[in-house]
Amino acid sequence: MKPNFLFPYWFRYLGWGCVIAHVPLSIIGRSRGMTNVLDQPTTVETLFNAEHLFFITTALLMALGLFFVAFAKERMEDEQIWHLRLDSLRWAIYINYIILLVSLVSISDTAHILELNLWVPLLFFIIRFRWVLFRLNRSLTTEA
Amino acid sequence: MKNNIRVERAIKNITQADLAEAVGVSRQTINTIESNKYVPSTVLALKIAGVFEKPLEEIFMLEEGD
Repeated sequence: MKPNFLFPYWFRYLGWGCVIAHVPLSIIGRSRGMTNVLDQPTTVETLFNAEHLFFITTALLMALGLFFVAFAKERMEDEQIWHLRLDSLRWAIYINYIILLVSLVSISDTAHILELNLWVPLLFFIIRFRWVLFRLNRSLTTEA
Repeated sequence: MKNNIRVERAIKNITQADLAEAVGVSRQTINTIESNKYVPSTVLALKIAGVFEKPLEEIFMLEEGD
């Protein structure tokens, strides 16, 4: 097989670490009065102030975490895994665009649609990919 | 596409794991190929045929509707 552009296996744990770490950070931030910058009107002063930086940090942590989890190698990366990966990615794009288009038509709040777009495809991809791998392993017939 | 990997394995007396290791894939992949749930790439099919030292057509054959 040709080399794939995937992260090493341990990036999966790093990724989950980032995703988990972003939760208490966000909670602490919110409790200190930080609000989602998307809820504020965008002006020049709102860029790169404490709240904006905080938002960037937590959002990046979450998105990068999901990215690492989604694109970390499996223990045994072969052509069937590759096939399932692509198939899951295709479904994730379908779902993402359905949600995106429906929300574009029915919701006027475009900033939050963007935020949704940040994690829906990755999260859906991870769930779908894990699910097909789980089903694959469960369907293993015993050797004849 | 059908295949008779299971039969060939029995003749050669190797397990799915042995075959998987010889061609560099997981045992799951060999298992799904044997149960006709996954169609291998040409590269993998050729490698499998190589392990059994037989021409490709003796191991993999088209089904009606393929």
